Amino acid sequence: MNTLRNLLSGWLMTVLLLLPLALPAQAQESSHNSPLVQVQETVDQILQQLRTEPDSPVRKEAISQLIRGKFNFELMAQGALGPYWRSATALEQQRFVSLFSRLLEETYLGRIQAYTNETVRYGRQEVRSNRAEVETYIVTSSVEIPISYKLLPNDREWLVYDVVIEEVSLVRNYRSSYANILRSKGMEGLLEEMEQKLAELQQASRPKENHA
Amino acid sequence: MLSCSLCPAVRRMFRRFIPLLLLSLLSLVLIVGRGWCADGAVSASDDDLYVDLYADEPGFDGIADPLQSVNRAVFWLNDKCYVYLLKPVARGFRVVPEPVRSGLARMFDNLKSPLRSVSCLLQWKVKQSGIELTRLVVNSTLGLAGFYDPAQSWWELRKQDEDLGQVLGAYGVGYGCYLVLPVLGSSSLRDGVALLPQMYTDPLHWTLNSEAMLITKTTEVVNGVSLDRDTYESIIREQLDPYLFIRDAYLQNRAGKVDD
Repeated sequence: MNTLRNLLSGWLMTVLLLLPLALPAQAQESSHNSPLVQVQETVDQILQQLRTEPDSPVRKEAISQLIRGKFNFELMAQGALGPYWRSATALEQQRFVSLFSRLLEETYLGRIQAYTNETVRYGRQEVRSNRAEVETYIVTSSVEIPISYKLLPNDREWLVYDVVIEEVSLVRNYRSSYANILRSKGMEGLLEEMEQKLAELQQASRPKENHA
Repeated sequence: MLSCSLCPAVRRMFRRFIPLLLLSLLSLVLIVGRGWCADGAVSASDDDLYVDLYADEPGFDGIADPLQSVNRAVFWLNDKCYVYLLKPVARGFRVVPEPVRSGLARMFDNLKSPLRSVSCLLQWKVKQSGIELTRLVVNSTLGLAGFYDPAQSWWELRKQDEDLGQVLGAYGVGYGCYLVLPVLGSSSLRDGVALLPQMYTDPLHWTLNSEAMLITKTTEVVNGVSLDRDTYESIIREQLDPYLFIRDAYLQNRAGKVDD
């Protein structure tokens, strides 16, 4: 009996002693580059800005910086053009990426802004064949809105290449409307319409900013 | 007054014709659904080097929209209805405190539990069907006719979002084509047809007369819009072609729901 007890307590002691050594190493490895943690950090930082700073161009710029660092806009722009990406010239591609990222930013920000005062629940993350998906939910008093982020690894961190709101991929959603405009008006027509829309959106948001 | 005297007759007529109408429309969906294809997008598979990261999203195949000009007209009409009638009324409805409106939304949603339970069962999702049934019983009693959702907050029994359109989809019925219904908005031939038998799963259908039904349905819609955070307005403001954006969003959302 005694030997058994000694053996057990000895084993327990060893485990307890080794545990602190093993735990941080493992925790560090899994959390350091975890897509979930990265998404959580970014979304929390954006919400923090929205909740604490007054509405101003400075705040908008700060949030833009946060988004730009974490989103792979070039890949998203490619996805939005779909097969038409390859037939565009390098210059057109460049113009499209710049316009598209600004439009997408407006859309994403607008949606997040509408739910500033709700809580965000973080669901599970799935990492498969070098791609990751992180589930988040905006919890309002009557509904839960699922928003997933799809990410690809960069050199150091994960970058978002798509945002899926209620099963609807934002990038994919642009594709059919852009394809339609491309067919009827060509690349130049599409770029012109995008420029116009962006000017319209900025015009609309400006008076509100002066007001605040 | 005219509608009152017409109602029983119209109802009787509907009852008699619905099975026939359903059958013929269903066969139409089945026959035609697969034939129509997406409106002429360039095929990515022609290009070996082209890797499409977004191709694995459900609903990638697109949807046939042969009635686009009619759909766009109805879309325009719905837009005017929303902007000049529904939204102002909903804004006025916001005098009712938010917690009450959320509770009301949950009550209306509770009435859809029978539909969800049946739809689960028709797809042999027996466990999910049981969850919905439990939700109905618990929330109708302890949840004060669905005003609260104790099934979720106490026992983590979450809503199983299923309907008859998804049942048809699960059995391989295609969309047929895209439809914009007056007032109701985005739909497809398949999901639109599914709305008819779906009517009979609504407990209110068996208890209320048509006037009371109209009033409750209107309240439901107004209440829903009053809780929404300008989703529709932001799409109209931000998108180059809102009609296409909403069509594709509907398609992706439905495909995702059928897939689960």
